[in-house]
Amino acid sequence: MMEDRSPIFECRDVTVRYGDITALADVGVTFERGMIHAVVGQNGAGKTTFARVLAGLVRPAAGSLKFSGRSHAGGSVNDARRAGVELVHQSFALPPSFTVAEAMQFGAEGGSLFTRSALERRWQPHLDSLDVKVKARQRIRDLPVEIQQGVEIARALVSEAKLLILDEPTAVLSPEGTEKLFERIRRLKARDVTVILILHKIREVLAIADTVTVLRGGRLVDGPLDCTEIDADRLAELIIGPAATRGLNADDKAALTGSATVAHAHIETSSARKNSVLEMRAVSTRADTEGPALDNVDLTISAGEIIGVAGVEGNGQRTLVRAISALVDVVDGTLAIGGDDVTGKQLAARRAAGLRIIPFERNVEGLSLSSSLWENWSARSLLQMPLLAAINPVTIQKRCAAALNRWDVHYANVAQRAGSLSGGNAQKVILSREMDEDARLILAAQPTRGLDIGATSFVWDAMRDAKARGCGLLFISSDLDEIFDISDRVVVMLSGRIVAEFRPPYDISAVGAAMTGVLK
Amino acid sequence: MEDIVIAILRSATPLVYVTLAGVIAQRAGIWHLGLEGLMISGACATVLGIVLTGSIWAALFWAIAVCVAGSVLFWFVVEKLRANQIIAGLGLTGLGLGGTTLAVQSIFGTQAAVSAPFGLPRLGPAFGAYGSLSILVLLMPVLVLAVWVMLRRTRFGLRLAASGEHPFAARGVGVNPSAMRLAALVMGGALCALAGAELATGSLQIFAQNMTAGRGFMGFAAVIFGAGHPIGATLAALFFAIVGAIGIKAQLIFGDRIPHDLLLGLPYIATVLGIWVSTKLRGGTKAANGFAELRNE
Repeated sequence: MMEDRSPIFECRDVTVRYGDITALADVGVTFERGMIHAVVGQNGAGKTTFARVLAGLVRPAAGSLKFSGRSHAGGSVNDARRAGVELVHQSFALPPSFTVAEAMQFGAEGGSLFTRSALERRWQPHLDSLDVKVKARQRIRDLPVEIQQGVEIARALVSEAKLLILDEPTAVLSPEGTEKLFERIRRLKARDVTVILILHKIREVLAIADTVTVLRGGRLVDGPLDCTEIDADRLAELIIGPAATRGLNADDKAALTGSATVAHAHIETSSARKNSVLEMRAVSTRADTEGPALDNVDLTISAGEIIGVAGVEGNGQRTLVRAISALVDVVDGTLAIGGDDVTGKQLAARRAAGLRIIPFERNVEGLSLSSSLWENWSARSLLQMPLLAAINPVTIQKRCAAALNRWDVHYANVAQRAGSLSGGNAQKVILSREMDEDARLILAAQPTRGLDIGATSFVWDAMRDAKARGCGLLFISSDLDEIFDISDRVVVMLSGRIVAEFRPPYDISAVGAAMTGVLK
Repeated sequence: MEDIVIAILRSATPLVYVTLAGVIAQRAGIWHLGLEGLMISGACATVLGIVLTGSIWAALFWAIAVCVAGSVLFWFVVEKLRANQIIAGLGLTGLGLGGTTLAVQSIFGTQAAVSAPFGLPRLGPAFGAYGSLSILVLLMPVLVLAVWVMLRRTRFGLRLAASGEHPFAARGVGVNPSAMRLAALVMGGALCALAGAELATGSLQIFAQNMTAGRGFMGFAAVIFGAGHPIGATLAALFFAIVGAIGIKAQLIFGDRIPHDLLLGLPYIATVLGIWVSTKLRGGTKAANGFAELRNE
């Protein structure tokens, strides 16, 4: 049997600019039909932009695109979809109030006037054929992430898709969910769908892809390379780049690229960890719109310890942070910071006790983007001052400038708006505010999300420094590699409970099983 | 009994039309506070149209044209100039209230009410006591059903809802959310014109300054009360109309024993209470999220 290996997609000299920022520069690649292609790179490498160019969501400033040998101007989703290109977004893009059937219908053709049951009859077989275990009448907002992703893929396949692009599909999945996704993708390949996977981790690339293409800083580094002819170390070098590799230890490098799951045998030697900085005893909260309730959570963090919290997103991690920050009521159990019971205390009292927070949403909860750097930086200390205490902006600005310099923030002046900083620099402003000398318990919620290599390793080092000073840290991340790299202990959250605890050396399959509730 | 039903239908019909306009806009992601302004523009254009052209159909055409033009302006300001929806909507209302007064003043040289020699066609004797109602009263349930089918049972409706709820999802399947909003506002403009026409010429055949008296805002309240669902919002509008009719009836019964202003305020009090109850029933999250989305605009 002759296989058709003609190119399904080619591009030449594709350049994309957002304002002053060049997201993609002169990228040219050719993808062959019928294969699974991986596109890898660090945050900020231009992977998502590349995917959006293919899907017609972004119009390149320069360059040419060809689908199956036919030229396209780009920048039109309808053109791309007509050519058989479909994109599954990183953060899912289906209206939460829709039923699954409606979500299929709104992007499809035919059957313009419908009844609910006709719609469900039309789409249930499609979902079944893709092995997406969902009822067509269920609402998107009620689905767990893994099912939601299946629905997204089914949505992308309502028409005869020839090229399916998945943007970081594994970021929200447990290791087992990832395995299931890969099986689904292999079945698609058998149905002659060409798949482009935007990925982050080398381990996953080597497990699934036929070719790999590496982007760094918006430029094509190499590719498509045959996956059978490249090893993890070589790929890691391509992804990180020679300049950034210097100054990274081997474990950090592995954690950054997911090249191998290092067991991380760096067991804590210090035995002086007597004082607990956080003690949660049987803490329960009420469920609300932002996530599941905490259910009987016991958690102790000692001074000089980093506790990693693993779990599929939406299993109570946010509630945990909000419970410790007094943003949700503790209905049962007790909570002590630095030995003092703060169960009924407000956030101000808890902050006075040494609580510091690096919140999930850097640009919403962490900074006021429309306020200046010095206002953002001084907010913590100002809020702890008496209401009518005099404020001397000049002194604060001087101290702020000194602190920001110490934290290596790149900025023009302390009066500039926080919104004008890049993600990494914005995060450093938060670190400089929250990781001060008086900190005893630091909640670090997804502190490296969206950051590039340099900023990511900077955050890790800052956390290690805080630990060395005797702080206790709670470190929440959806990236198991980084959790394993820097945590002294790992707890797994599932449905608002802490279901397992692990100590180094970590076993990724055991942690992964705990994340999905399959205890081994 | 009949007279109460007639009174309710008479006051409910314009309210339902303007509510439907608000529902369509809400689905597309627009908090439409310009309803009041469009409605009074429709009322004014209908009466002036009758006076100046002598034809109800030409008048209706003019009313729809004026309201659609106002809607396109609203869309342009919100979508293209990226203005805040609430402010732009209130601006449109101000434009409608002031513009209609100016139009009457400049044509007739007085701010007195303008009366038209005739109004909308009536149902006629075949409907017995209800014969004095206009044809738009009969058309109302048909339109409610049509809007429901369009929003809930067609792909167009799904795409409109996606444009409002998750514009990125809409873009992902090749839908232009901005164009969908334009479509929603244009349809809403036509409905506001009918609302104004019914208010001004369904029974009275008169246009007076500020004659909508907050009905556009009550329509908007009905949209929120009905959670943006066409049937729910229509029921909310009917509820407001019923309360209003009870207020008038109470006035006749109690006369001077209860302050006149309190009875007149009944529909508005019911509106506030209705919104409060509906927020309570839904746990208060829906409206709150809506406003959060607004801030991100």
